[in-house]
Amino acid sequence: MTLSILIWLPLAISLVAALLAPRALVGRFVAIGSLVTLGIAISFLVRFKLGHAGLQFVTDKVWISALGIHYKLGLDGLNVALVVLTALLFSASLVWSAFREWERARVFYFFFGLAESAVLGAFCAQDLALFVAFFDLMLIPFYFMVGMWGTGERVRATTKLVIYTLVGSFFMLAAAIATGVLASSQHGTPITFVLSSLRALPLSRDSQEWIFLCFAVAFLVKMPLVPFHGWLADGYKAMPIPVVAVFSGVVAKVAAYGFLRIVLPLFPYASVHFQTLMLLIALVSIFWATAVAFTTSDARMVVAYSSIAQLGFITLGIFSLRPEGGQGALLQMLNHGLVTAAAFFIVAVLAGRAGGSEDLRDMGGIAFRAPVLASLFVIVAFAWLAMPGSPNFIGEFMILLGTFQSKLAIAVIAFAGVIAASYYALRMYITSMHNRAGREVASREIVVPDFAVIAPIVVVILVFAFYPQFGLRRSEATLKTTVAPAQVLAARGPGARAAIGAGGTAYARVGGGGGP
Amino acid sequence: MAPTTFGWLIILCPAVGTMLIALSFKRLPARSAGWIGTAAIAASFGLSIAALLALLGHTPDHREFTSTIWSYDSSVGVDAKLSILVDPLSVYMALVVSGVSMLIHLYSVTYMTLDRGFNRYFSFLNYFVFSMLLLVLAGNFVLLIVGWAFVGAASYLLISFWYRRTTATGAGIKAFVINVVGDAGLVLGTFFIFKHTHTVDFVKTFGAVDHVFAHNSPDLVAGCLLLLVGAFAKSAQVPLHTWLPDAMEGPTPVSALIHAATMVTAGVYLIARMHPLFEQATTAADVGAIGGCLTLLIAATVGLVMVDIKRVIAYSTMSQIGYMIMAVSVGAYSAGLFHLMTHAFFKALLFMAAGSVIGAMAGAQSLDRMGGFRRALPFTFGCFVIGGLALSGLPPFSGWLSKDDILAFLDHRGGGFIILGIAGYVGALLTGIYTFRMIFRAFLGEPVEEARELEHGHLHHADVPRNPMTGEEEDTDVGFPGPGHFIAERELPMKVAMSVLAVLAIVGGVLQIPGVDAGIERFLSPTFADSHLAKELPSTRADWIGLAIGALIAIGGIAVAYRVWVAAPGTATRLRERLAPVYTLLINKWYFDELIDLVVVRPSLWVGRFAQSVLERVVIGDVVTGGTTGIVRAGSAAVRRAQTGFLRYYAALMIVCLTGVALYFLISSS
Repeated sequence: MTLSILIWLPLAISLVAALLAPRALVGRFVAIGSLVTLGIAISFLVRFKLGHAGLQFVTDKVWISALGIHYKLGLDGLNVALVVLTALLFSASLVWSAFREWERARVFYFFFGLAESAVLGAFCAQDLALFVAFFDLMLIPFYFMVGMWGTGERVRATTKLVIYTLVGSFFMLAAAIATGVLASSQHGTPITFVLSSLRALPLSRDSQEWIFLCFAVAFLVKMPLVPFHGWLADGYKAMPIPVVAVFSGVVAKVAAYGFLRIVLPLFPYASVHFQTLMLLIALVSIFWATAVAFTTSDARMVVAYSSIAQLGFITLGIFSLRPEGGQGALLQMLNHGLVTAAAFFIVAVLAGRAGGSEDLRDMGGIAFRAPVLASLFVIVAFAWLAMPGSPNFIGEFMILLGTFQSKLAIAVIAFAGVIAASYYALRMYITSMHNRAGREVASREIVVPDFAVIAPIVVVILVFAFYPQFGLRRSEATLKTTVAPAQVLAARGPGARAAIGAGGTAYARVGGGGGP
Repeated sequence: MAPTTFGWLIILCPAVGTMLIALSFKRLPARSAGWIGTAAIAASFGLSIAALLALLGHTPDHREFTSTIWSYDSSVGVDAKLSILVDPLSVYMALVVSGVSMLIHLYSVTYMTLDRGFNRYFSFLNYFVFSMLLLVLAGNFVLLIVGWAFVGAASYLLISFWYRRTTATGAGIKAFVINVVGDAGLVLGTFFIFKHTHTVDFVKTFGAVDHVFAHNSPDLVAGCLLLLVGAFAKSAQVPLHTWLPDAMEGPTPVSALIHAATMVTAGVYLIARMHPLFEQATTAADVGAIGGCLTLLIAATVGLVMVDIKRVIAYSTMSQIGYMIMAVSVGAYSAGLFHLMTHAFFKALLFMAAGSVIGAMAGAQSLDRMGGFRRALPFTFGCFVIGGLALSGLPPFSGWLSKDDILAFLDHRGGGFIILGIAGYVGALLTGIYTFRMIFRAFLGEPVEEARELEHGHLHHADVPRNPMTGEEEDTDVGFPGPGHFIAERELPMKVAMSVLAVLAIVGGVLQIPGVDAGIERFLSPTFADSHLAKELPSTRADWIGLAIGALIAIGGIAVAYRVWVAAPGTATRLRERLAPVYTLLINKWYFDELIDLVVVRPSLWVGRFAQSVLERVVIGDVVTGGTTGIVRAGSAAVRRAQTGFLRYYAALMIVCLTGVALYFLISSS
């Protein structure tokens, strides 16, 4: 079984469902299909060989030979767990959707399938051009899902989302093309976009710097981090719940993953050069988003802004340029995906018990007669605030340890963000579940369909809590080689870095060392 | 069986109890959750004894065992495994924790009978004991931090147990957030130490300390000070103590177990466990000792004026933990840990007795409303007096032997430590006063209406239960303290639990009598074999001189209380008027809440509002997004069409444009 089947299966299923299945059954058909996709993704995880840094299950075909673009897919430590997370969260969202009525259901599920295929493709792509293609393809279904099935200010939300992400995409496209073109011209080799080949063709210092900035803008918009998050509030507010769950759960992770897959190995010099800048952006994001999450009374916005803060931590880990930080960042991508998706589903469940309002002031006292819901929520809340014992704690622990080892002051300041997270997460739990009941609150136990979506996610969180090593073991070998070039450069200090100069060849010995 | 097998089973029992109660909460017949919970803890206690015996079967030099189940977080140089460390210190703690927990579970079976959340209560309480045992048995920093946070979570869940009361939820989040400050301190402290030792394992760390750290090296001192932040937050030491008095919102047995006997003493355990680090970082150890000393004085003075009976005991707890923190910081490890144990006995007893009084008062906790319960509650009165005498340090009660052991050690170390020792004696005087102020006001004097009713066999119940803090009518859906109002005189499980603790509070001291047996010291000595401070023990003669001074001071304190509140009533009012500024300071608890509110809470909320109203709305909403949108809008009529619904054309157009740009770039450059 090849990765192509995994990637294109969701789209195929949704196409078949849209064309053939009776209208009422489309949702169920697609949901069951997504479980098959999940099974295939898990089968890859099971067959994944530990301790190998290189790619496994490689598919490599020439796509556009004149431009050196390959249709190359593969799994390694960086993406194997993220692929399973994607399949899991899409399954959860599709099961959630299948129990609800949607206008123009066939189109809705078609877009959902397209989105899953594109996200899986972006995670598996091992060719820069292919990655860009999947990255842009991934966004299109979301424009439509916000625009057509969104609630509230959906037009404004869509406009902002389209403008922001397309501007970001434009930067990325330019940067990707420049990478391939400049690499071939600086080394006198035929043009190629295959990532493993590009790693052997390091760019000059100047090229690395501007290309880095272009990629950074694209990824930071997508995550998003401050100040590129202008689309987030309206976008997340307008998206239907299953859409926002996958969007925040996995789509935002593609950007963070992009830093590890593309930026760190290909532009190690620039990564070191802009390390402090990126760490500061991450730090500002943590505090900015936390401050908003502190005071907003909208439950969905608390989760949305907390996810900016979490992505800030992930960025902190990546740009610590240390293996500890990178390991923590990868683990935290999984953890945050699980927790944020569960949290968005819970917001929907809460709103259903508070007269449809997502305002925390209308909630309160829901825990009464809903002990199961309260238990699920409290587990999610504790994982969300990264309480030690939750898998998120190990993620943050490794991230902060990496940051501590490279920039002590930033790590110390970031701890304030950890403390603040406990306040906003618990505040949301208390104001919704505890205290006196809100006016419109009908305290009811969670219903079986909702339970069937949230409980499996909580179970995965609990399993990870006992064995976070599961994620760490799979990513260790690959991650070390990913971070190594930048780590070596950073360890040499600024003087040595300047001495390396603009010469690509002198630099190649360091930068190209780790590639498979 | 190996001691570590017992160690794992000790942790496992309450975990199983928690799961059993939590997963079958709907099907459990009446009270059975309570008995399951109690049995689980009893099993842990039995296994702790077994571990003790297994440990004693080895020679003193070979009483340190570790065991690992699987890797927890071991990659790229971090070596955190799921491993426990079984040595005299951890077994000692496990015995104290499981023993006291067992009795408090037993007490709770009655105390919580009529509560709606009976099953929830016992699953939380078992979860707490599981966490606490994990904390004391953990074999590395990461697992210690996990246990550390879990007890904080259990504490939060139980403080806000009656979650419809806003006072309870407010107290819960306050306790949780301050505890997270402590967790963060622990994590950061671990980083400082890991940076040099490259291991999180306890045994390896302690083995490496002397090689990798110079005496008082900056990173080690920083690391130890951060560990102290964790210890101070958990053990409610100044200035991270403000959560503990508020935590009294939880059910009274919870106050007895978590906020008196076990969890709050975790800071003491931490410093004792980390003694190889602190002995190398003497600056940090001195800070710990001074912090403990300040706390014991500040808390004791506040205890003099509080009127809520549970808060008086809470401030007393802070003060007593101040003694322990001071002890383990200066090297009096066995004395500090001995006091930890005796304090667990008599303080749990005092809380249980207070619970009985509060039951008789139908939930009211103010000393102003109490009085004359001596005849109505003879058993409770007896227990309260025993607990009070042990707390004040009157011979031959257990608290006398343990507290004065600490103070004798301080005097023995000499120099500046004598000042700490004198402060300790001042604190002891205050302890006698506030303890007997409480006893005299609640039990002596003219019986109040509730006491008179009870003397005639009728237990008072309020018509409309109200939250005494806010005056809010209580929520009967979820519950509130009550509605059963049990008193120890009428309930056998409560009586049994209190009797056992009363006996222990009297005779618990025999485990360590200077010159006679010194049992605790000898048992713990393998753990502290590498300590040079623990070897400098005072002579038996010095110990007994200290004990004699302590006894006189305790009698003095009780005599003052008798003079002020019994012999010459009205003295208290006169003192209050004459010392008005002091009284204002004390009744406002030295203004720590106001200080934290001013320095932390208000600025945080202000920043939050600023971020929301200015940064988000103006900077991001108008300038960044508006600017970007404006540029694009000016350049492209398609945006307007998008806003009127032709989104798909717009998206398609953008894709076409992008593709065009891409092709242009490719063609022109190759």
